[in-house]
Amino acid sequence: MWTGAEQESFTKVLDEFEKRTGAEVTFVPTGDSASTALGTKIEGGEPPDVAFLAQVGVMHQFAEKGWLKPVGDEATAQLEKNYGKGWRELGAYGGKQYGVYFKAANKSLIWYNTAAFETAGVTDEPKTWKEFLETAQTVSDSGTPAVSVGGADGWTLTDWFENVYLSQAGPEKYDQLAAHEIKWTDPSVKKALTTLGELFGKKDLVAGGASGALQTEFPKSVSQAFAEPPAAGMVFEGDFVAGVIAADTKAKVGEDAKVFPFPAVGADSPVVSGGDVAVALKDSEGARAMLTFLASTDAARIWAEQGGFVSPNKALDTGAYPDDVTRGIAEALIAAGDDFRFDMSDQAPAAFGGTKGAGEWKRLQDFLKNPDDVAGAQRALEADAAKAYGNG
Amino acid sequence: MTTAEKTDGGAGRPPAAPGTAGRAAAGAAPRAASRIAAGLGGAAVRAVLLVVALFWLMPTVGLLLSSLRDSTDIASSGWWEVFTEPAQLTVSNYAELMANDAVTGSLLNTVLIAVPSTVLVVVIGALAGYAFAWMEFPGRDWLFLVVVGLLVVPIQVALVPVAKLFGGIGVFGDISGVVAFHVAFGLPFAVFLLRNFFAEIPRELLEAARLDGAGEIRLFATVVMPLGGPAIASLGIFQFLWVWNDMLVALIFADSGSAPVTVALQQQVRQFGANIDVLAPGAFVSMVIPLIVFFAFQRQFVTGVMAGAVK
Amino acid sequence: MGTPRRLAVLFLMPALVLLGALVVYPIGYTLVRSLFDAGGSEFVGLGNYAEVFTDPDILVAVRNNAIWVAVAPTVATALGLVFAVLTERISWGTAFKLVVFMPMAISMLAAGIIFRLVYEQDPDKGIANAVVVGVHDTFAEASAYPGARPRPDGVLKPSGDGAFTAASPARPGSPADLALVGLPAAQLPEDARDAARAPAGDGVSGTVWLDFKPGGGGEPGVVDPGEKGLPGMKVEAVSGGKVVAEATTAADGTFSFPAGSTPRDAVLRLPASNFTEQYAGVDWLGPTLVTPSIIGSYVWMWAGFAMVLIAAGLAGVPRELLEAARVDGANEWQVFRRVTVPLLAPVLVVVFVTLMINVLKIFDLIYIIAPGPTQADANVLALQLYLSSFGGGNDQGVGSAIGTLLLLLVLPVMFFNVRRIRREGRR
Repeated sequence: MWTGAEQESFTKVLDEFEKRTGAEVTFVPTGDSASTALGTKIEGGEPPDVAFLAQVGVMHQFAEKGWLKPVGDEATAQLEKNYGKGWRELGAYGGKQYGVYFKAANKSLIWYNTAAFETAGVTDEPKTWKEFLETAQTVSDSGTPAVSVGGADGWTLTDWFENVYLSQAGPEKYDQLAAHEIKWTDPSVKKALTTLGELFGKKDLVAGGASGALQTEFPKSVSQAFAEPPAAGMVFEGDFVAGVIAADTKAKVGEDAKVFPFPAVGADSPVVSGGDVAVALKDSEGARAMLTFLASTDAARIWAEQGGFVSPNKALDTGAYPDDVTRGIAEALIAAGDDFRFDMSDQAPAAFGGTKGAGEWKRLQDFLKNPDDVAGAQRALEADAAKAYGNG
Repeated sequence: MTTAEKTDGGAGRPPAAPGTAGRAAAGAAPRAASRIAAGLGGAAVRAVLLVVALFWLMPTVGLLLSSLRDSTDIASSGWWEVFTEPAQLTVSNYAELMANDAVTGSLLNTVLIAVPSTVLVVVIGALAGYAFAWMEFPGRDWLFLVVVGLLVVPIQVALVPVAKLFGGIGVFGDISGVVAFHVAFGLPFAVFLLRNFFAEIPRELLEAARLDGAGEIRLFATVVMPLGGPAIASLGIFQFLWVWNDMLVALIFADSGSAPVTVALQQQVRQFGANIDVLAPGAFVSMVIPLIVFFAFQRQFVTGVMAGAVK
Repeated sequence: MGTPRRLAVLFLMPALVLLGALVVYPIGYTLVRSLFDAGGSEFVGLGNYAEVFTDPDILVAVRNNAIWVAVAPTVATALGLVFAVLTERISWGTAFKLVVFMPMAISMLAAGIIFRLVYEQDPDKGIANAVVVGVHDTFAEASAYPGARPRPDGVLKPSGDGAFTAASPARPGSPADLALVGLPAAQLPEDARDAARAPAGDGVSGTVWLDFKPGGGGEPGVVDPGEKGLPGMKVEAVSGGKVVAEATTAADGTFSFPAGSTPRDAVLRLPASNFTEQYAGVDWLGPTLVTPSIIGSYVWMWAGFAMVLIAAGLAGVPRELLEAARVDGANEWQVFRRVTVPLLAPVLVVVFVTLMINVLKIFDLIYIIAPGPTQADANVLALQLYLSSFGGGNDQGVGSAIGTLLLLLVLPVMFFNVRRIRREGRR
């Protein structure tokens, strides 16, 4: 789960919970292999009370195996008061409410270094994929590597793909692919990968080239774009980029770092969202109290004030966000209502969409290394998907 | 492992029967004839060894110096820069680390796992070792061979079943479970080592004590254990370091409250670049105790390692 | 002796209970479990084993394990032997041994972190690449304009090997405009001045300049005010594949060839030496080298073990034998080859076998050192067992099959041990 700056902010939320309930909470970050870490504990029959899962797919798996406990009446009441239908349903499975989406993410954002854009003479934020590539070329020509890609963390690559795919193939296909109703060998996937290859395949446009990108972890992909001098002009990822900028760089969000929506590849700009869902693994008083608290507006406000956080809680006063950029992102998210698509890889079984060094993460890393081999990437993706979804 | 013993002699034998004859011979022979040639070659050999030693030290020195620089310095340049800019050195990473409850808690857990695991292996291993060496019961030799066979069983084989077992009896995630696993996998070696050591105790010594009216339990406590000192020291140090340094066992059987420092640090490794200011001092802190033990008890450690060959 | 049997039971009980419950029983469980599917309810026979040997990711683990077992013990034992022999007559040999042996005392986790630092790609941070790049740069000069390149629609085209060549032959009297981009303004040499068009003389001339000024603007391919020349750039005139003349640009980026020095069909070329990228060092943790690199860290940890055991063995080698060989006229190498090594053979075997068993179970180092993108390339059975059993898919059937496989691999050593103890038992 969350480490570093995010961990610090969340600790503040927990402190408040402890103060109110007198309960003692220990927080354990699990790194990026939450499902591995939890799987171990659950197999052993000693799960924690509450866990945060970043992947819907994992939540479904856990619910199916009977590992999750319903959130309880009080939390449900809070949810109904504060959350839109779309976000409530994401936390439900088989008609039961299991999860509280405490933290949402708008994963369709491109952040840029305003100084780098100025140097390159770029004045307009690109709206389409074509404009985006042109902008990248201009930034690159100006001597600043164009796009920072955090390829060492496979999930950033799945997010790249999902935005391109959602915008290009449309929401219907997106849902089908997410459910593995169409195969990864589908022509729509080929088109999306080819499009993505227009960026990944250009050494000049990707900071450090493919091999450099594959050694760049997500936090570094952000910090290097806002370093002095910048090692990249733009970096793609969700709203949580702001948290890294605040923690690891001297840049100010809103002044040195600005953001534009992911460019439209097809007709519309995509809105891919993600989020961390809190679930109860034990049927305990404490677990329910915790979930109720997390569903409350107070809890959301505490982290919102720290920055690097967007809440799907529509009752939260957006004045709580520390800067205009985050406020804008949060307002857009709430305004989108139920009209968004959840991160595809997070809907997939963990073995495919959420495991370090395997499945989609690994295959897209291979693709980044070798963007010419679209067909090979598709075959590898499909083989892994078939196995993970168990419907080969 | 028996060959290793033969070459050393100290590993599995009581002080009454020193087996260091080979060592006594070392360096005794005159080699006047080759002295000059050796002198020339010697300089080259010394130079090579010096380079190798530096090479071997460098990674550790790198970690130490990295841990003494703040995160912005680490992010911008290599640790060797402190040689030109010593002002970069700071203990702030350590101060932060020690103020972090999760880290100090995990260090305490490491102690709570390593100490009982060591004591229990020694006690249980000694009891069984003595029984195998000096008690008569049917199937004794056969049983001992089974224990010897278990010496090389990879711990991986037991991970899944023991996780299930611990879950069933409710010690999964508990320190006691981690300790039990370590003790179980430390026992074959402990029994093997101590049994061989005890077997060399002169029979007369034991007989004399028995004639004085000592029962088996008193005999064990007052005669056998003290005589076993050297072997027990080797075993204890070996087991202690083994458990202290373990990550895999704790990764699976410990939970948030009982995780040792290795597991706590491992959780930060995934964002290596971003967390290096925690990882470097954390790794160093986790190394301090093993290094102290290592330097203080080199001899015992070496004998332990040698007897443990083919574990 | 007649010790009461009950007492023996009492002494043995704790050890036997623990061994039975946590070592023996799990072996049986794993053997049986490996024949069932992921959920543990359906009997699949040898299906899990078939998966181990067909799943491409697990096959990589099998292959890597073979590499580990073949390479790591060999290298560690060889180094240990060399160190043991060399330190024998050095007064500070003990100190040396201590240094080399020390890594054995630290955890694989700490060693992993140590080597993540060592293998850091950036030569400014990782010592391994700092050394490699340092050595490399001593022999190969760094270029002044790494990363500079023409615009895709410009006059210059990439002509292989990093050089850029003009599309059409150069004409005397009509200066060539060789525009380059992709350089940060901050990276220009200090003596760079505003670019100027070359005067139209009798010979071929032109300008090499940075066709981009801070803030943008200006016409692509045209020398606009405010754009800087690129001084010290090497320009070649090439005819029939041969370099016929060379020139170097001035502070304003202009260059010229003496009249008549270039044939009519000569084209201008900016050779690769202008643009050579800063050598970035070795990709230690990339897909090809990740396993050897991690083996390197293992050798760092375990060569000391081999050295100490071998040194102890060496102490037991009778000096007279060595002296006798020397008196017979054998040189040091022959003594080493013909006398020392054969006498040490039993120790070497023990060291080697110990390391082999140890290597089979290697987990922490790989889990810690291999970064996400190459973890699959560095995979070994012990890691795959963990990933299969507890990671994503939670397929403990496959996990158990791998466990069984590991057990099978150590079986010969198990028998070997048991047989030897049995023989010794009959003294």
